[in-house]
Amino acid sequence: MRLSRKVRLLCAALVPLFGLAACSGGASGGGAAGGGNEPVKITVWSWDGTVEKAVPGFQAANPNIKVEVVNAGSSQDEYKALDNAIQAGSGVPDLVMFEYFAVPYFAIPGKLTDLGEFGAEKLKDDYVPAAWGDVTVNGKVYALPSDYGPSAMFYNAATLKKAGVDKPPATWDEYYEAAKKVRALGGDHYIAQDTGDIFFLLSLIWQAGGRPFKVDGNRVHIDFTDEGTTKAVAFWQKMLDEGLVNTKITAWSDDWNRTLNDGTLATQTMGGWLTSTLPERAPKAAGDFRAALMPQWSEGEKVGAENGGSSFGIPAAARNKEAAFKFLEYFTHGAGLSARVDAGAFVPNRSVLESEAFRNKAVDYFGGQKVGAVLAEASEIVGGGWQYPPFFEWARSIYGDIASPFYTSGKISLAQILEQWKQRCVQYGNEQGFQVD
Amino acid sequence: MDRARRLDVTPTATASPDAAPDPAPARKRRRSQAGLAFIAPFGALFALVFIVPILYAAYLSLFQERLLGGTTFVGFANYGKLFKDPQFWDGVGRVFRFTLVQVPIMLFFAMALALALDSMRVHGMRFMRAAIFLPYAVPAIVSTLMWGFLLGVKYGLFGSLNDALGTDLDPFAPGNTLISIGVMVTWAFTGFNMLIFYAALKAVPRELYEAAAIDGANEFQIVRAIKLPALRGSLVVTIIFSIIGTFQMFNEPQILPTMVANSGVTTYYTPNLYAYNLAFTGSQQGYAAALALVMAAITIAVAYAVQIRGLRNASDQ
Repeated sequence: MRLSRKVRLLCAALVPLFGLAACSGGASGGGAAGGGNEPVKITVWSWDGTVEKAVPGFQAANPNIKVEVVNAGSSQDEYKALDNAIQAGSGVPDLVMFEYFAVPYFAIPGKLTDLGEFGAEKLKDDYVPAAWGDVTVNGKVYALPSDYGPSAMFYNAATLKKAGVDKPPATWDEYYEAAKKVRALGGDHYIAQDTGDIFFLLSLIWQAGGRPFKVDGNRVHIDFTDEGTTKAVAFWQKMLDEGLVNTKITAWSDDWNRTLNDGTLATQTMGGWLTSTLPERAPKAAGDFRAALMPQWSEGEKVGAENGGSSFGIPAAARNKEAAFKFLEYFTHGAGLSARVDAGAFVPNRSVLESEAFRNKAVDYFGGQKVGAVLAEASEIVGGGWQYPPFFEWARSIYGDIASPFYTSGKISLAQILEQWKQRCVQYGNEQGFQVD
Repeated sequence: MDRARRLDVTPTATASPDAAPDPAPARKRRRSQAGLAFIAPFGALFALVFIVPILYAAYLSLFQERLLGGTTFVGFANYGKLFKDPQFWDGVGRVFRFTLVQVPIMLFFAMALALALDSMRVHGMRFMRAAIFLPYAVPAIVSTLMWGFLLGVKYGLFGSLNDALGTDLDPFAPGNTLISIGVMVTWAFTGFNMLIFYAALKAVPRELYEAAAIDGANEFQIVRAIKLPALRGSLVVTIIFSIIGTFQMFNEPQILPTMVANSGVTTYYTPNLYAYNLAFTGSQQGYAAALALVMAAITIAVAYAVQIRGLRNASDQ
């Protein structure tokens, strides 16, 4: 639920902006160079409000293609609706939004179109490598990335300074030392909070080089004991054991907003999308927060990780695939991209991330920092080769059941939680027809 | 028992007009057909919104959906799996324990309040009645959010209380969460049950009180000898309503995790929540359907046992 709620909030914030644009869109027309000769209508399922922004320009350029953007719910609601439509054999949309981890869920049973047939491969270089990896399943491209969540560290410079930390921790060792200093401020001062956020833990593992999920066709191999995973898990275990992390405050709660506001939480290691919601959650901390790359595992290294992001694919049962791909390319790569970026979308396209306009924009909330440059770099350095199992949506929903007792009693370790989680995943995955071990 | 016998009789009674060699005149038969026409609108709606969904759920429960390999017929395998599923029984056990503790407390309060209102000695009776009933009108989602803020230890009222008293109580520690939910449910439904009791008390003939007064009975004797026996029938009704309500508990455990981390609420905290999560994140609709049917059977069995026992006691009187 957590990730989808972020996305939902983001969309709720964005939607009003685009309502107007969408209404005025229909009138513009008369461009040349359409798609096919027959007029077609394509239906797009999206909870990303910025997609609407690209419609007027697209329809002007392609008068024969009418685009209808529908919000069919966020995340799992939408996946459910898509599954139902595919099963019923009617009402299947032409373009559908997926979180990255949901792409294999639909691609592996053959419910998505291989975009190779439309020449998607030639777009590869415009995307940061990890984002491209997210939409590639068993060597084939099934979706195009539309927004991105490179993991970054947002830190409250004022709080760190008060604790005697003058520059943001660049390595996890420094982070650990900083955590002790922040804790020494007393009261509710902590360097971070964690109540069992699986996406955070996975981003640590990801950055440390752990690749716990290996997917090859219908085979899924799960292993939480590789070197990178072990290193990341042991580090966070140490942070928790020494009481350096607030385990009472959960992200996205009212309590969380308050601690961000009063500066008692010094850092947030999260997806870059936090920039869109932080100013409204912590208005009183305006000017205090800065963005930085994730702390590194060894000095001088530059490796990042991912925390969220989504893409669009074409269902195998879609009717107007050609027109759908045309629009897909338009708003994720072509001329429609800039309208979405202006509306606040954070995209993994190099053409945007490397542009001066994006990198040099000083953001007042972050004390005039050029946040775009930091997030662009964070996107570029995301470690490659990460895979999600096709049943990740289910897996993450039950993670809390297993992790919760640890966070309240401290009786078992993170490593044991992950092992139990693996067992549940193996059982469920095999029941679902995969070969999981 | 009496009621059970009556139930046995009914089907044959309705079937008899259709039995062909009925010597009864045609007029009688026409009358019974007219009756059918009157119940037809109800019957059609009942079938549409009640029978059909249940049959469909029963049908679904015989299949297993898989991400790979699609939907396959598995017979009663879902039921077999359910009876061995510790998470399901964990949820069932939880709602049973909850019912055993919360329902008596809530009904005791409801009854006490109804007796107080009926005693005519309360000032501002109408206001009191409305105020006690009002929580019932608050949607469970809103009341859960409200109680979440009240009982929160970080910034909520409970946090201030802890600060003032120097205590360290957490209403949403895993061991306490069920108690906190009990408080929410009691707050929400006491007024509703009170109204049922109050209505039953209003139906007591005034002559009984006059007779008691002439006999020199005091208020407590009146309560014991007249009012409490009069509440017996409605007590059975309220217990059944409460059992059904608590067995279906969903909103509170669904919303709490978004407010409080690690309150001990799992994805299978109550059977209803488990069914929801199975169907909507686990894509196991067949299994969820089996769970829903088994849970309905358990609820009906418990409610029916209460009813039979309650009515037997009533007839013992």
